[in-house]
Amino acid sequence: MSPKFAPSRRQVMAGLAALPAAALLRTPAAAQAADVPLGMVLPFSGATGPYGPDMKKAAELVVKQVNDAGGILGGRKLKLFIEDSETNPTVGVTGTKKLLEVNKVELVGGFWGSPIALAAKPIILAADKVQMVSCAANAVTDGDNKGMVFRFQAKSTSWGPAGAKVMKDIGAKNVVVLAQQNPFVVAMIEPFKAEMEKLGGKVSQVVMYNPDQPSYRSEVEKAFGADPDAVFCLSLLTDFVSIAKEVYRGGFKSKIVSLSIGADAEGKFLQAVGPEVANGIYHIQPAPPLDSPAYKKFVKEMGAPAGTVFLFAGNAHDQICATALAMEHAKSSEAKVWAKSVFEVCNPPGEEVDDVVKGLEMIRAGKKIKFVGAGATCDFDAKGDQINRSFLVQVVKNGKNEMVGVIS
Amino acid sequence: MISYLVTVVIFVAIAALVGLALNLQWGLAGLVNFGVSGFVALGAYAVAITAPHVGWLAAMAFAALMCAGLSMLLSLLTIRLEENYLAIVTIGFGEIVRILLLNEGWLTGGALGISGIPRPFAGMTPAGWGDGVILVFAVVLVTAAFAFSEALVRSPFGRVLRAVRDDPTVTAALGKPVLALRVRAFAVGGAIMGLAGALHAFFLTYIDPSQFTPIITAYAFMAVIAGGRGSNLGLILGAGSIMLILEATRFLKDIIPWIDGVQLSALRLGMIGVGIVLMLILRPQGLVAEPKRRYGEFFPKDAAGPAPNRALAEGGKA
Repeated sequence: MSPKFAPSRRQVMAGLAALPAAALLRTPAAAQAADVPLGMVLPFSGATGPYGPDMKKAAELVVKQVNDAGGILGGRKLKLFIEDSETNPTVGVTGTKKLLEVNKVELVGGFWGSPIALAAKPIILAADKVQMVSCAANAVTDGDNKGMVFRFQAKSTSWGPAGAKVMKDIGAKNVVVLAQQNPFVVAMIEPFKAEMEKLGGKVSQVVMYNPDQPSYRSEVEKAFGADPDAVFCLSLLTDFVSIAKEVYRGGFKSKIVSLSIGADAEGKFLQAVGPEVANGIYHIQPAPPLDSPAYKKFVKEMGAPAGTVFLFAGNAHDQICATALAMEHAKSSEAKVWAKSVFEVCNPPGEEVDDVVKGLEMIRAGKKIKFVGAGATCDFDAKGDQINRSFLVQVVKNGKNEMVGVIS
Repeated sequence: MISYLVTVVIFVAIAALVGLALNLQWGLAGLVNFGVSGFVALGAYAVAITAPHVGWLAAMAFAALMCAGLSMLLSLLTIRLEENYLAIVTIGFGEIVRILLLNEGWLTGGALGISGIPRPFAGMTPAGWGDGVILVFAVVLVTAAFAFSEALVRSPFGRVLRAVRDDPTVTAALGKPVLALRVRAFAVGGAIMGLAGALHAFFLTYIDPSQFTPIITAYAFMAVIAGGRGSNLGLILGAGSIMLILEATRFLKDIIPWIDGVQLSALRLGMIGVGIVLMLILRPQGLVAEPKRRYGEFFPKDAAGPAPNRALAEGGKA
């Protein structure tokens, strides 16, 4: 562009008029008639960016397995489209809209983070497609969802009591809550308090902080300063990294119980803070079926060391599996039809199956199956919430996560 | 595809409204406002909270008035602060608004946000046409704001604002009330930002504090810089082209097999940055430079008057 470039009014108008033509430049990226297009909105940048790549990898893994085995519905291949949410609801909305309108997807899955899922929900429901989320805020499945919203995650309100049980197990009576202000975390606090009281402990203080703060020193001093038995840190990865370093620097002695999405994040927390800072931190998360062969196979296929505990990647894996199985069961790729079949293939009774290809074969053979996923057993109640999710408790020792137990 | 384009156009309209407001404050009056996201958030929340009770029209009027009022208060700081200092104060304002919205749960729903915001004409809209109505609504709003801004630029008020921007001391020496002018310019800009927030709330029907991050401010500045500071037509082009780059790059990964989502997400934002830098080097006046306004435009030839004072009547350096 030379500095002398000075468009006339006509040139500007001609350029504007030509804009719609830009849309035609696009090669027909939308799936061919025979393909079944599926979409996912995942974070690749922003505060939750670290979780996106593994979820993508897990979803692509399932798509490849299904397609290599001949696809679904008599040879139709799955085609996966993924959009970046940038951890921003507005961007998530345009991404969702693109998936629905341009790629004509039957499913919009993924959704790490409740604000993005909540912003996209009205759009997906208006298009009569299925939304599958991996986030926890109760509000996601509230209201009339036409049976088209499925949560591949434990609800916020069930995380709190699990935390209280850990507190009891480690002998903490006087407990402080240090929590990030976000919809997923806020919903945990009251159930946690109630359960603590039931178990004979008490929550002496709740310290809230805002996401994306440059420093958490004052919040850490406030929460740990009174020297409680333990602090329940409800944080995500980026803020928990700062908080853990701050606690270590301050030399505080209270025990820390945290969420695995912050204190493990599929190994990223340890990478960020090192073994000394992380030592002795307990963390909980909804447990994947660790002992099942399918989960072990999944970990291997993800290229992770044996024993890795995936949460979100497993959920992404299950979303695509459940969709493929439900479509085969319903003999239709139309969202309104196969959404009902999700319950049929995921809930008991039925022969338990943890491999999607095997599951598809059994459905074709007319058998009643019950899918068990890599993220959970995948039982749904009528609202689309996953039930029967047990929690896995781990502690960091010598730079490694050690399993403490499972709370149901 | 059509419906996706409608969504993109609505977001362009929101960005254009915010940009027009910033162009008025910064492009025309020379007041740096880095608190744009705060005003947009206030507009959105004002509508979300009041619309179910008083209807959309009154809610929008309330949003615009409230943002105008707060803008006036904030701009009073310009008594002592200019340029860099005002920028810092407005950054602070934007953050204060976001943090307040996040923590005052009784009013704003806190981190959960507010869902089910009623859209204008929702009762009269046939099913499936909801976005179409918002599109018409958005285009009308942008057209009105554009026409208003253009009229303002050509009015004596616009002329004296340019004078304030180019040299406040000279303007004051000529007997113009510099502070009052700045307050008014800031208020009008704030009102338009509030309307942009209202449009955002009506379109998404769900708002939460994480939608109003400072990136809104950054995009608004990019649009003004790319379009040409002080030029409203350039601004519409600037806002449109930034959204076009942001959205069009989504399709890259569908077309080019060797680029994956992780790389693309970094590349997209990087590309915008590179674009802006190149733009500033190659075309510092923007896509459409602020027009040189000549003496004759304001005073017909036969009217008697003093010799043209071009320092006052001209803007930009094209």
